[in-house]
Amino acid sequence: MVHAVLQQSVAGFYADLVTRPTGRAVRENIERDLPPGSIAVMDFTGVGCLDYSCADEIVAKLVREKVKVLLLRGLTDAHREAIEPVLAGAGLAVLYERPDGALEGLGASEPAPALLDELVERRLAARNPGGSIRLTAA
Amino acid sequence: MTRLIEVPTQFDDRSFDQFAAAYAQAVDGGGERLLFDAHAAEWASPYGLVGLLAAGEAAARKGERPLLTAPANPDVVSYWARAGFFREAADLFEVHGKVPKVKVAVESEVLLPVTPVRAAEDVHAVVSTIQQRASAILSSELGLDPKATMGFAMALSESCQNIVEHAGTGGWVAVQAYNWRRKLARRVVVIAVADAGVGFRHSLEPTQAKRFGERWGDAAALEAALIQGVSRFRDPGRGQGLAGIRRYLARWEGKVAIRSGTARIAIVPRWDDDVPLKDGLPAFPGSQVLLIIPEQASEKGPGGAGGPSQQ
Repeated sequence: MVHAVLQQSVAGFYADLVTRPTGRAVRENIERDLPPGSIAVMDFTGVGCLDYSCADEIVAKLVREKVKVLLLRGLTDAHREAIEPVLAGAGLAVLYERPDGALEGLGASEPAPALLDELVERRLAARNPGGSIRLTAA
Repeated sequence: MTRLIEVPTQFDDRSFDQFAAAYAQAVDGGGERLLFDAHAAEWASPYGLVGLLAAGEAAARKGERPLLTAPANPDVVSYWARAGFFREAADLFEVHGKVPKVKVAVESEVLLPVTPVRAAEDVHAVVSTIQQRASAILSSELGLDPKATMGFAMALSESCQNIVEHAGTGGWVAVQAYNWRRKLARRVVVIAVADAGVGFRHSLEPTQAKRFGERWGDAAALEAALIQGVSRFRDPGRGQGLAGIRRYLARWEGKVAIRSGTARIAIVPRWDDDVPLKDGLPAFPGSQVLLIIPEQASEKGPGGAGGPSQQ
């Protein structure tokens, strides 16, 4: 849970992921337990405001430097609006789980299909008859 | 001996250059003590208030603690006090005149009183406060989609971070809603951020000056930051903040203007007739950022009720 990591990473009780120093502290906390090239899930439930700097510092840098596939869940529309342009501008993409469980790409359109394929190949996700891709019960 | 700097009677972004010219002229005189005379002030926007604090800080750095004559009009001085101006000014100026002891930000139009920004923790506090206070006003009075409240907080956060990351000193932010009869006959929310730090040109010089060659200066630095999204950091993800602010304001027909050094740049919406880029302005320390988000709905008719008005 990103919200829980935020509470560990900054002094005071804040629900917002804003400022680069905060983003850096949260990312470094997450990275500690994350082997390079891994598939990671980040849950944004409980996070209030996410600004562009923090979106870059956490999401874009994890994708650029650390993880192979990053799956985001618990995103609000406002979170997506912060993350999408940051990733798209850098040619990066993540996956996000919609409230109905379907997985979609977020960010640059080109890398997203490969991310979905990676999850399907590893049997972490499966294509449904309707065409959507959802996580398998793990 | 003291040097006098008159605070314009209507003190906002339009009259700021007049104030900056008086400041530049007074500072040119050497290390004499400065007197900021606001006794005749009739109105000040958040931009004027935070800009005056930035001038006070810069003046104090140069020499003796400056003097400030408070507005003589009881309504005006009371409003400045409620907007949190004197709480901050007390540390910078030797204030003269009757300043009422009133509670800061007890009114709905002061969404965020004049608030110091020195570190990332201050930005957290500002964002947290604005979300508690502004969401109802942004949606009910400005007709913004409730989802836009979060975007507003993001824009505010990024504006404040410019101080923390680039100014090399602290600054101030203020957010107010008021009736803007002058341009729009609508209510607006205004975010004003000011610091007396190093400014955009100095911040970007090490990485950008060579690229611009002879064109390099305050105007080129502002253009690089706001239009091209460049940052002083070589980190590939940098420069997101101002780009994000631009996207948010484009969506809600808002305006952004940044003044730094001797230049001012603006992204001008259809309802405004401001100049996109001005150079050769009177020099003023640091950077001053102005964001204006206008009321969206037209069904209510012009103006709306309550709050201070500006002609």
